[in-house]
Amino acid sequence: MMKALGSSRLSRRRFLIASASLGVGTIAAPYVARADDPTLRITGWGGKWGEVMKAEIGPAFESEFKCKLQIDSAFPYLPKLQASSRSAPIYDVLHTNSNEQWAAAEMGLVEPKIDPNLVPNLADVYPYAVSDKIVGVSIFTSAIGLGLRTDKGYGPITSWKELWDAKYNGVRGGYVIPVNSLGQAFLMMCGTLFGKGQTDLDAAYAALEKLKPIKIVDFTGAMEKMLLSGEVSLCVIHDSGIYRYDGQNQPTDFVSPSEGVLSLEQVLTITPGSKMKELANAYVNYMLRPEVQKRLAETVWYSPANKKVKLDAKYDAKLLTTPEKVSKLIQVDWKWYNERKDEIDQRVNRIFRA
Amino acid sequence: MQTSASHSPSLPTARQTTSVRMPGPARHYGRYLYLALNAAILIFLLAPIAIVVVFALNPTPFIQFPPVGVSLRWFEKFFASRDFMQALGFSLEVAVLTTLSATVLGASAALALARGNLPGTRLIVATMLSPLMLPAILTGLALFQTYVLLDVGRPTWGLVAGHTLVTLPYVVRTTLAVLHNFDTRLEEAAQNLGASPLRTFFEVTLPLIKPGVMAGAIFAFIVSFDQFPVSLFLVSPGNETLPVTLFNYLKFDLDGTIGAASVVSIVLAFVVVIGLDRTVGLRSYVKL
Amino acid sequence: MSASIEIAGVSKVYDGGVRAVDTVAMDIRQGEFFSLLGPSGCGKTTTLRMIAGFETPSAGAIRVDGADITHVPAHKRDMGMVFQNYALFPHRTVAENVAFGLRMRGLDKTTIAAKVKAALAMVELSGLEDRRPAQLSGGQQQRVALARAIVIAPRVLLCDEPLGALDKKLRQQMQFELKQLQKKLGLTLVFVTHDQEEALAMSDRIAVMNGGRVEQVGTPTEIYDQPKTRFVADFIGDTNIFRGERVGPNLDVGKNLILALPATEAQGAAVLSVALRPEKIRLTLRADVAGAAGSSVHGMVENTNFLGGAVLYRVTLEGGHRVLVQQPNAGTTHLFVPGNGVTLEWTPADLVVLKD
Repeated sequence: MMKALGSSRLSRRRFLIASASLGVGTIAAPYVARADDPTLRITGWGGKWGEVMKAEIGPAFESEFKCKLQIDSAFPYLPKLQASSRSAPIYDVLHTNSNEQWAAAEMGLVEPKIDPNLVPNLADVYPYAVSDKIVGVSIFTSAIGLGLRTDKGYGPITSWKELWDAKYNGVRGGYVIPVNSLGQAFLMMCGTLFGKGQTDLDAAYAALEKLKPIKIVDFTGAMEKMLLSGEVSLCVIHDSGIYRYDGQNQPTDFVSPSEGVLSLEQVLTITPGSKMKELANAYVNYMLRPEVQKRLAETVWYSPANKKVKLDAKYDAKLLTTPEKVSKLIQVDWKWYNERKDEIDQRVNRIFRA
Repeated sequence: MQTSASHSPSLPTARQTTSVRMPGPARHYGRYLYLALNAAILIFLLAPIAIVVVFALNPTPFIQFPPVGVSLRWFEKFFASRDFMQALGFSLEVAVLTTLSATVLGASAALALARGNLPGTRLIVATMLSPLMLPAILTGLALFQTYVLLDVGRPTWGLVAGHTLVTLPYVVRTTLAVLHNFDTRLEEAAQNLGASPLRTFFEVTLPLIKPGVMAGAIFAFIVSFDQFPVSLFLVSPGNETLPVTLFNYLKFDLDGTIGAASVVSIVLAFVVVIGLDRTVGLRSYVKL
Repeated sequence: MSASIEIAGVSKVYDGGVRAVDTVAMDIRQGEFFSLLGPSGCGKTTTLRMIAGFETPSAGAIRVDGADITHVPAHKRDMGMVFQNYALFPHRTVAENVAFGLRMRGLDKTTIAAKVKAALAMVELSGLEDRRPAQLSGGQQQRVALARAIVIAPRVLLCDEPLGALDKKLRQQMQFELKQLQKKLGLTLVFVTHDQEEALAMSDRIAVMNGGRVEQVGTPTEIYDQPKTRFVADFIGDTNIFRGERVGPNLDVGKNLILALPATEAQGAAVLSVALRPEKIRLTLRADVAGAAGSSVHGMVENTNFLGGAVLYRVTLEGGHRVLVQQPNAGTTHLFVPGNGVTLEWTPADLVVLKD
């Protein structure tokens, strides 16, 4: 059994090399990492993103920088990083959502800023990607807005506030706020919509109270399925969660409300204790390269952070690829939120338990 | 399986209930009630599996009732996925290694505890069983931190060690149960007839405690194969177990592949149990 | 070939200071049926287990044919053993059980098969080779255990209350068969039992044990007729024990009863106990003529217990002593009833002086 497994791994390696040489032949020649090559340890998503990373983007990086890329796509990243030693962290580059990056930065697990001198492509990103709401650099963002069933006679929808309309009672969808970033961002949006701004928690709680009855889920993926199956007709969702079904003729659409969309950033940071700083910066720079950005953006429908990226028309039409579109993004103050997370969790749990 | 007597006292009780003879219609009512209760328990136990199977066979990428059809597309997707296949292989590898180490260590420990005249036996038993009381996620986290401190990374043996830790109690428990009823005069008889202590172990002790050891081994295999919390921290990139891969997949894609993977897991676990039963024999032919 | 066993000053002290066996010494002769008899906890089983090698003596030595085996492990002692409850291997057939010892000795298959067949024939179990122990009756299991122990032609056969679990009829039959077998094979057999009748019926010699010590070693008749200690006299059969002060050639046991001591016991301790077996007393209807002083006394039947082959009376003597009297049921003897006045007579030589 061990033997069989070993050989399957070998063939998998060969397959990777083969697909890398076919798929990204234009970017780089195939490269076989050697055991004594330096290893860059990073985190990364699974799903389609993971597939493209493993098959193309990763091998091309390995080849160009003569290194091995070890991608951990098994959650939870933060506790693992936290449990490992500061001087010898388990990751060199942490890729995760912005709220988790803030938590990591607060604990000193990641460096708060990326040095533009070491990452030249930083010069080309939209301001939101390196704003004061971001630790490190955001390489992509999704837009959180509303997902709508187009076959139920609802609509057209322009405002977030329509989610509160009584006709969506029983068919509106939201998240378990303590465990889901979209839910947390949405809570802040409620403060903006009904109160004095993002930090007006009382207004937000009151608004959440009025959303009931509502179907809540913990995983974002589950929301996609509920919308596809028609269990919900209007829900909080990110654009990529709708656009990824493009071409399947699903009766669903993404609505970008007039009040603006929330950003769900994909953020890279470097760990202070990393022994591979140079390679880590090179990786961040690499991920911001227009051709890498384009490949990933068109794979998972994320809006690229690099202004110079030119997407194919169908993607360009829907994603945030111009300064005007990007200006609609509302960034969440995760530092502020994380400081109050326990209190907020308790409060929203009470709201939705009743 | 003779250990069942000590582990599930409901079994003999249930049999007694069926054999109770009450006069007249009361007997029928009692019997119907008994059957209904059993049916209800069975349904309660099997319903989740049924739902998983429906989910796995349903062609839509979301759970739908009533199902709109039967399709094997999720099974195709599961078996075509390199990640899933690799995870399945790795899970089996880890489960087999875990079963071996937990069985050898657990059975030896149980023997030492039952026979060794060790001081503080109760304390040792309590310590051995303690991983069951501790939330497994903490066991996983603690081991992860230990490995990091020792700078050994996250090797496969580290994962197997973690799984062994949480499966050991099952083997110790089931083996102790058979040893509790073991007549040591059988070993003396063997020695008296000229068998060395080692020979006595393999000729007499092992065959007689086998039902308990095997029951523990099966527990170990299933617990390891299904293990999530301990694995969560201990898997390394490229070497992920099926439950961890499923969990990560769940975050991005919630479709029937999850159901297909679950069905495959259930079938595999079933095959292993039946296989062990057929080859090594779970049922004991002796009453100790 | 059967062997002799020498147990030289053997003691067994367990953790916690319990002295299970206390300086026991005995010689078991080659080909002898030797019983260790005593109440539970007397150390007889521990002594047997030390002979078998399951326990190590705390002091002393055990020799077989003169060779010290005190520290030889059990599996190298070449002794057969029949356990209480038989200890048959439940996962093996009758034939496999019997073959076990032969297999351990590395004999070839044909030899094993032949020996197993012969052994099973000897215990009359031919045809049951493929049964499992659980499918056999108690008596059959007993025979398998015996066959398993003797098939290896052991130097010594050890039996730990082997007949204890059988009912009385079967037990007597097995006693007889075991004795026959032992004689036929010339086995040295060490037999542990708490049943004095069994020990008396089967043994060449008996060691009576009490509190970890040997009280007396002797033939059944010696043990019965000349018990050396009060414990032996009391433990073996029924007996009347009197304790008193020596007055000349007599013993004053109080309550107006003076017993004439046997002529052989003219000298000795001032205070002593004597035993008188119930069947050594003759009982007649009370005669007015007084019998010989010191070996005759009057009394009244209090209780009559008909045993079939004999009658056991409880008689209250004039002074108040109570004695047991056993008379054979010869058919012609008068059956006394409670209330009958009787005269008891015995021969002074039947009084046995006991060590306390």
